[in-house]
Amino acid sequence: MRSIISKVLKNRRAISPVIANLILIAAVIGVGFAALVWAQSQSSGYTTQYGSVISSDISQLQERVVFEYIYYDSAKNNLTVYLMNSGTIGNVGVSAVYVDNTPNSTIALRLLSTGAPASSLNSTQEGYFSISTILAPGKDHPIKIVTRRGSTFVATVAT
Amino acid sequence: MLPRLRHRKTHRRLISDSRGFSSIVGAIFAVLVMFSLISTVFVWSLSQNTLYNNTVRQSNEADLDRSSEKVQVFNTTYNAYSNGNVTVSAQIQNTGPSSVQFITAWLYVSNASWNNYNWCKLTNASVQGGSVFTLNVNLTVSGLNSTYTHSFASWLITARGNVVSLQRTIVYGNNIIVSQTTQGIGSISMDFKQSRYYDFGSGYVSNGTSLPSSKNSYTIPNSNNTILAVLLTNYDNTTQDIILNANSYLWIITPQAGTVKPAAWNIANVTNGKYINSFSTQTLQYGKPTIVYFGPSSPSFASSALPTVVPVFILLFGKIGTNDFGQNIPFIAFYISS
Repeated sequence: MRSIISKVLKNRRAISPVIANLILIAAVIGVGFAALVWAQSQSSGYTTQYGSVISSDISQLQERVVFEYIYYDSAKNNLTVYLMNSGTIGNVGVSAVYVDNTPNSTIALRLLSTGAPASSLNSTQEGYFSISTILAPGKDHPIKIVTRRGSTFVATVAT
Repeated sequence: MLPRLRHRKTHRRLISDSRGFSSIVGAIFAVLVMFSLISTVFVWSLSQNTLYNNTVRQSNEADLDRSSEKVQVFNTTYNAYSNGNVTVSAQIQNTGPSSVQFITAWLYVSNASWNNYNWCKLTNASVQGGSVFTLNVNLTVSGLNSTYTHSFASWLITARGNVVSLQRTIVYGNNIIVSQTTQGIGSISMDFKQSRYYDFGSGYVSNGTSLPSSKNSYTIPNSNNTILAVLLTNYDNTTQDIILNANSYLWIITPQAGTVKPAAWNIANVTNGKYINSFSTQTLQYGKPTIVYFGPSSPSFASSALPTVVPVFILLFGKIGTNDFGQNIPFIAFYISS
């Protein structure tokens, strides 16, 4: 065994192909590993992005909001909208309200049962908010609410 | 050579030739790595799609359940009390296949010049399919005066998000419920306690003149110009609006012998508390108490006939749908002072 090793070491003609092969193998392994890591990071990014889109879509699908009552006080120019979360998902918040296509983004949502301020409504929970606005008499006015998940719900109030 | 022998020879040659082996192993390894990567992502995205489809199915089922809720409402009655309390009673039959849970009751009360609303939570208000539920709730509506005529509307909210309307009802002062006036005394009824007049003195009432404070009295000055106001409600059983035209009057006649002289107040246009001297039409919406104005005019009877009590007739003429409408309301008397 020792004689074989010493023979190999002494035989300089065989060293260069071995080194070349080693370099080639190292290069192939390095490039392959880099490609594998890149492919994995790409697939991981894809799954994260796709997962969040699916999760958002699922949450949006489960959102349902019912307008229980809309009252406009013409003396005070005040519109009060009563809502119920009739969907199967909680944490439904109102991000914007459009009255006659005019946006209102400052929405002070309150719970119907207690009147306490609330950032969102859980399933079957009821709430309300008031907006100061002037509505022309004798007309129908569309009220559109946009939830934080991006769902929209529309109702109409007649003055 | 037999094909079997040829095949065995080729196989032996391939096995014994070790030069192309590493490429094959590398390719197989690369394919395995690619396959494992792709299959992981594929299976994961498949599971996500399944999750999404399940949610869509559940959402559709919830919508179907909601749309299959069917109830019928009978015998809705409203009782208003002097302290603003209102009792709403109704029989509700669940005619759908699934049980219905009512969670909130709403009540809206209005008359010609006022409106308000309130709500209350309902407990133990779950109705099985085919069962009948008796609703009996008390609500306080601030500002409600039970001696006046009001229109009541109420509705219930179900846990699935449906809105169930109860029958609207007009309740006259002191809880006299009027439902079938059409076949009785006519389509339009009058709230006697809401009759009032506006006294302009002896001066001319020009266009745009603001109405003075009203007087809730049946005593009318003989010489002063007055605008008379009555609260009318359209109860026509076809629920159509009645449109009064300019051929509507309030008129009186003195019964004193030798002094027979009628006086008439034409139907008038009062907008935003001001008298407008042009009148086209006035609509009496079904079930909505509406103030109708007449005047300005004065009895201007001969002084020898004064003071006197006179019968008052409210002559109403116009259209209901495409048909003519005419009614005379004769139940009032005025005392004409000198």
